[in-house]
Amino acid sequence: MVENKSDSETDSGRVWSVPTGRRTDEWSECLVQIGNNSDRAAFTRFFRHFAPLIKAFALAGSSLSAAHADELVQEVMLKVWQKAGGFNPEKAAASTWIYTIARNCRTDMFRRLQKFDTPLAADDLNIELEGEEPFTVLHTRRGSDRIRDLMGQLPPDQAQILAKVYMEGKSHSEAAAELDLPLGTVKSRVRLAIQKLQVQMDRQ
Amino acid sequence: MTKHHPSNDCLMEHAAGSLPVAQAACVSAHLSYCERCRRTDSQLKTVGGALLERLDPIPVSEALLDTVLARLEDPVPLTYTGQTAAAELPSLLQRLINGDFSQLVWKRITRSLSISYLSTGDTNYEFALYRIAAGGRIPEHTHGGGEMTLVLEGGFSDGRDSYHPGDFIYRDAEDKHAPVALDGEDCICLAVLDAPLRFTGWKHRWLNPFQQLHAG
Repeated sequence: MVENKSDSETDSGRVWSVPTGRRTDEWSECLVQIGNNSDRAAFTRFFRHFAPLIKAFALAGSSLSAAHADELVQEVMLKVWQKAGGFNPEKAAASTWIYTIARNCRTDMFRRLQKFDTPLAADDLNIELEGEEPFTVLHTRRGSDRIRDLMGQLPPDQAQILAKVYMEGKSHSEAAAELDLPLGTVKSRVRLAIQKLQVQMDRQ
Repeated sequence: MTKHHPSNDCLMEHAAGSLPVAQAACVSAHLSYCERCRRTDSQLKTVGGALLERLDPIPVSEALLDTVLARLEDPVPLTYTGQTAAAELPSLLQRLINGDFSQLVWKRITRSLSISYLSTGDTNYEFALYRIAAGGRIPEHTHGGGEMTLVLEGGFSDGRDSYHPGDFIYRDAEDKHAPVALDGEDCICLAVLDAPLRFTGWKHRWLNPFQQLHAG
């Protein structure tokens, strides 16, 4: 995993410079087939591609055991099957869609394991973009293709911070402590990364 | 149109799923009002998806695939999905409140301020509705920690700016403020605190020992 290799530029460079390769469009089509036709063959293909990524996500910098990681893969994949009908390829890439499911399942699993009792499931807190207007849809879709392309061009130190924040679920200060960096450095790397990815944010 | 938004850092932590549940609920309630932040949130989730695609895959067993395939026809649990609220309350708040404002129990703090505590299960953060009577003022105060505020009804002003439904405000521990509700209607805000209110003026300081954090 890239986060353990901060001292070896070449190594993290290699990991992060892998070109996007397969466009996830293939996976969006796959999801549409699952949703429209309850297509088990499509689901199996989708599983073979994404399950190992979800497992990596489950184990990224967390205290989940291998058994819990498998349980998470199961939960996420069942949700994929159940929710595929609501997937709209115009609005999101397959990877974004499944990331959201995986993130929510992982949050809920952490809370369950910590016996943290809350009436709010992570799904309840996920607000989807409405974007019925064609402009918004086009804009969103282009934005997401661009973000995925640009991700491959991020310098390793910026990509590493983003991975800490997203894949390991660390706050900016936790990431700073772990990487032994000042909080300001973490924040500015995040800011630079977000600028390079051309995420539209408010200038602050 | 909302004018006041969560910081970029805050939106990112929300998209990464790392905010404590009480804060996440407040940010999420703001998203249901604010199209601009919904769009940012959607792009930030795309960043998450792109990072997911780039992880080094860890093999899973064939047995796991078989287990999942065998469970595909399991009954689907009933789910609730976050909806955007046009004019009404964000639906997650409706659920926490279990109805509307009239069913809440309000605790009177001063003549113009009442508070109703809601439960998110988060033991580090108080999650409460503040009702300030129209034109009324919350005496000047600070908090031992950070405070997220989301305006739900009416509006208030703090001398720097005025805030209306959907506006999101974050104040840190040192920030001293004395919000005044706008005239015409009561102002109802959602406030998420990690330390209790501390009145700073001599007239209200005696109330401080009675202010506790109602987290949970």
